[in-house]
Parts: sequence; C-alpha cells; structure tokens
Amino acid sequence: MTDSRSPLDTRIEIVTPENIAFQYRLAGPFARLPAYLVDLALRIAVVLFVGFMGMMAFGVAGVPGIGLGLLAVVGFVTEWFYGGLFEALWNGQTPGKRLFRLRVLTAEGQPINAWQAVLRNFLRGADSLPWMCYQVGLLSAASNDRFQRLGDLAAGTMVVIEQRVLRADMVRIEQPEALRLAAQLPPGLIVSRSLARALSAYVTRRQMFSWRRRIEIALHLAEPLRVSLGLPPRTDPDQLLCAVYHLAFIADRLSEPPPPTRQSEPLVFS
Amino acid sequence: MKVIELLAARRDNWRELEKLCQQWETPLSGRPGAVQVTRFAFLYRAACADLALADAYHLPPTTVEYLHQLVGRAHNQMYRGRGFNFAAWLPEMLEALPRRLLHDNSLRLAFVIFWGMFIAAAVLAYHSPAVADHVLGKDMVTGMEQMYDKPIEGRDADESTAMAGFYTYHNPGIGLQCFACGLLLGIGGLFITISNAAILGAVFGHMAATPQSDNFFHFVTAHGPFELSAVVLASGAGMRLGFSIVDTRGWRRGAALRRAAREAVPSICASIVLFALAALIEGFVSPSALPYWSKAAVAIVSTLLMLFFLLALGHARRSTLQLDKNSATG
Repeated sequence: MTDSRSPLDTRIEIVTPENIAFQYRLAGPFARLPAYLVDLALRIAVVLFVGFMGMMAFGVAGVPGIGLGLLAVVGFVTEWFYGGLFEALWNGQTPGKRLFRLRVLTAEGQPINAWQAVLRNFLRGADSLPWMCYQVGLLSAASNDRFQRLGDLAAGTMVVIEQRVLRADMVRIEQPEALRLAAQLPPGLIVSRSLARALSAYVTRRQMFSWRRRIEIALHLAEPLRVSLGLPPRTDPDQLLCAVYHLAFIADRLSEPPPPTRQSEPLVFS
Repeated sequence: MKVIELLAARRDNWRELEKLCQQWETPLSGRPGAVQVTRFAFLYRAACADLALADAYHLPPTTVEYLHQLVGRAHNQMYRGRGFNFAAWLPEMLEALPRRLLHDNSLRLAFVIFWGMFIAAAVLAYHSPAVADHVLGKDMVTGMEQMYDKPIEGRDADESTAMAGFYTYHNPGIGLQCFACGLLLGIGGLFITISNAAILGAVFGHMAATPQSDNFFHFVTAHGPFELSAVVLASGAGMRLGFSIVDTRGWRRGAALRRAAREAVPSICASIVLFALAALIEGFVSPSALPYWSKAAVAIVSTLLMLFFLLALGHARRSTLQLDKNSATG
C-alpha cells in the first residue's frame, strides 16, 4: 500500500484492491473529542441504568448485594470493553463515532479486526494519562502524521472522517451576459485540465463573494484569458470566467458549427 | 461528451450506491442478499472507474470530492471487519500463548522484579514497622490492622456477590493500567510493577508481624496465586510492548511495536481471566468460614493449574492444525 499526503492537509490516500486511489480525511483529536464524550455519556448512562434497575429488582428481593455486584461487573465491562466490542462488531465504529461519522481503519485503510479493536481500547490506560486528561494521547497524535494516539500506533489503526456531501451537481450559468459572452468565444476553445479545475473552483464559490471581491479574484485569470482571446478591455472578468466555464463544462459542442480549423484539414480518405 | 452529460448519465448510479451504503451502514439491517451484493459490487467498481478517470473527464473538484467520499464509504461497506472469530481464539489462547509465555523474557523480567521487590519489601516490613508506615502510610496500616481484627467467620452470599463484583471491577483495572503503562518505553511498566510489589510486599510483611496475621493469611491465601500471577502477567505483557520500541530486533520501531502488541493481546486477555477467577475466589471462598487447609488447597490447585498451563501446554507438541500449516508451507 502506498500513500502520499499533501504536506499541509489532513488527507490520506488509500489504494484499494481495485487499484483505485481515493482520499480520506483524517480525524484529529478535536474531531474525536465529541464522539468520545458521547460514548462516555452513554457508558455512564448504561451503568446508572443497570445500577438503578439492579438495585430496584434485587433490593426488593432482599439481596441488594447481587445488584451491587452486577453493577460493578457492568462498570468493568463498559469501562474496558465498550470500545473494543463496538469497534469489532460495528466495523470500526462506536455509537459516538457513528454519530459523528468517524471510523477506525487500519493505517492502510483496511477494516480493523477484533484484536486491533480490543488492543487500541485497552491502551487508553496509557493515552489517558495523566488523570484521564489524554495528554499523552494528544502528544502522540500531534507527533505523527495520522493523528494516532499510542493505542492506534500499537494496533496499527487510524481514525478517518466519513463525510457525506450530497451535492455532486454542477453549477449552471444562468446570467444572460455570461451566456452572450460564451456565444462570442471561439467554439474550438481548448480548456486545459488546470484551467478547468481553476474555473470550476471559482464558479462554485463565487456566490460567496461580493461583486468587488469577485472582480478582484477573477482578474488574475480573466486578464490573460481576455488578452489571448482578443476580447475588448472592458469585458467583465467575472462574466468572462463564467462564460469560459459554461463553454468548458456545459455548452453542447456538437450542436455548434465545427471549428474552422477542421475544415482546412486535408481529407485523408478521399 | 460534455461533463454535464456525463454527470447526468452517472448520477443515478452514484445515488443508488449511496442509498445502498446508507442501508448497510445501519447496524441492525441484517445481511444483504446475493443480488444486492452483486449490484453493490458493480456500482462500486463503476464509481471507482469514474474516480480513476475523473481527471481525464475534467470533472469539477466538487464532484471529485464527492466521488472520493462515495468510494471511501462504499469501500468500508465492501471490506468489513469480521467481528470476533472465537474459533481462532481458542487455539491462540491454549496453544500459542503458553508456548510464547514460556520463552518470554519480559515475563521472566516482570516475574523476577515483582517477586524480588515483594520479598524484599516483605522482609523489611516484617522486621521494622517503620518501613510499612513509610511505604503504605500510617492510615493504611491502621486500616489494614482494623480490617483483620476479627477472625474470618464468613459472610452472607449477598455481600459476597457485591464484593466479587467490586473485585472484578477494581483488580483487572489495575492490571490493564499496568499493561498500558508498559507502553511508555517499559519504564512506566517497571515503575508500576515495582510500586505494586513494594506495596503488596509491605502489606504481607507487616501483617505477618502483627497479632492479626492468622486472620490475614486466612483471607489472602486462597486468591493470592491467581491475583499475583495476573499482576505479573499484565506487567510482563506491558513491558513486552515497551521494550519492543527500545530493542527492535532489526524491525522499524513502529513495526516492532505492532508485532509485540499483536502478541501481547492474548497475554493480557489471559491476565483478565486470572483476575476474574481471583475475584470470584476472593468474593466467595476467601471470606468464608471454611477451615484454613481448604483455602490452602484452593491456592495449591490454582498454582498447579497455572503451572500446567505454562509448562505442559507450553511444551506440548505442535497440534495437528499447525502441522498442517507447516507441511503446507514447507
């Protein structure tokens, strides 16, 4: 398994058995804290509930000691086996991790097995030093590139964020000025990959900026584009980028007349 | 084909995959049928292909981002954890573990350190009450003396259950803490082992010198072997982790730690089993009014059981399972 990370990003690349590389976002300490707190609250709730019910049931029966013993055993199991059991049975998730869309995977991005789940939770004893403040774990997570605490390092696991972004659709250009401008551009315009990426990054986010800010950002790309396309100097940079975007991603090239360069090509099959 | 048409053609596939992921992520959804799995695999491969060609297709970054997440999500449903495979744990615990423990230098070290410190502290505390006061603190010494003032006369089953539960909660927690602290380069493990041994040794030595010694040994004899062995086992497992980072035997430190950790899991599980057995004995047998010889018998039987586990199972010939494996590889 290979992995490569961009130096300033919390992403990790996984190569699957299908030989596809895809990226995960790693979960740092502060993405994991809410999940930990939910799990902690759940554990306490279970212990309180079992304790209450046990004391009620066995207390009425005249043997409160059995209720106490049951409470202590449940306390032990939830304290040390809660994480291990859930992560082994729920494919790397505890209820808290599920709520916040975190998942434990091996450092290579594979599903974890039972011993890894059990081990990384047993070693909380070292990570939570001193006094359940998780300073050791924090230090360990800060000093490696996958935010692994000591338990993760020993078990060879990491925690990733499984995001759910529901939007995969493209932004459509509706403003008439941009569409008019697009019709004026040469139809055979070839958009390179990096230009396409920059255009779509701009168009997806331009709604978030004010008019002046848009001009300021767009000008960097629009000015050289305008010069190379031979457009008049008063062209609106924002609209120009939208027009090129429209041409690159949305406009139907087939319905337009073929570019003039094609017509001048020699007919090789005649 | 324009990007927008491509997206329109693929969108239904992606949505369907997303829906299947959502369905399978629900923990209690049951096993998906064969038709569903096949369909899922098809959709997953298609999404993988789309992601691989995203650059060639000029897909916009938002879509690429979406595909990364979709493929990641589907990957985690496609390749799932297997849960607990108890059939594989039994030979691991009964065959591989004793053989490993028999040759485990960390366990030997933990054994020597624990018992060495225990005996040293016991001898010192026996001869000088000041040592016990110093190691344990005045309050704990007087507390211990008061606790064993009365002879052991047994208590009702109700209280015994409560105490057994308490020991189950308390003692393995200490063991697991020993184990986890071993990870701190072995120094944390050494420190905890030595301090536990010093405290326990001082208690034993001091109590032996007091008039309450009969009551004390009446109480601790039965569960002593299991409990003390469990502490040693947990410390040894922890030190194994810690020392693997220092002496890597040619492996990289991370790899050495992961290897040692994999082998330490059965040890710490065995230690928890010992703690649980000790808690049962401590809850029900130790405080009972049974005569001393029966409690000593429990201690002897439990020691013999552990020796059998370590020596007989550790020296046992390889099982048929592993012979098969060897003949297959060789």
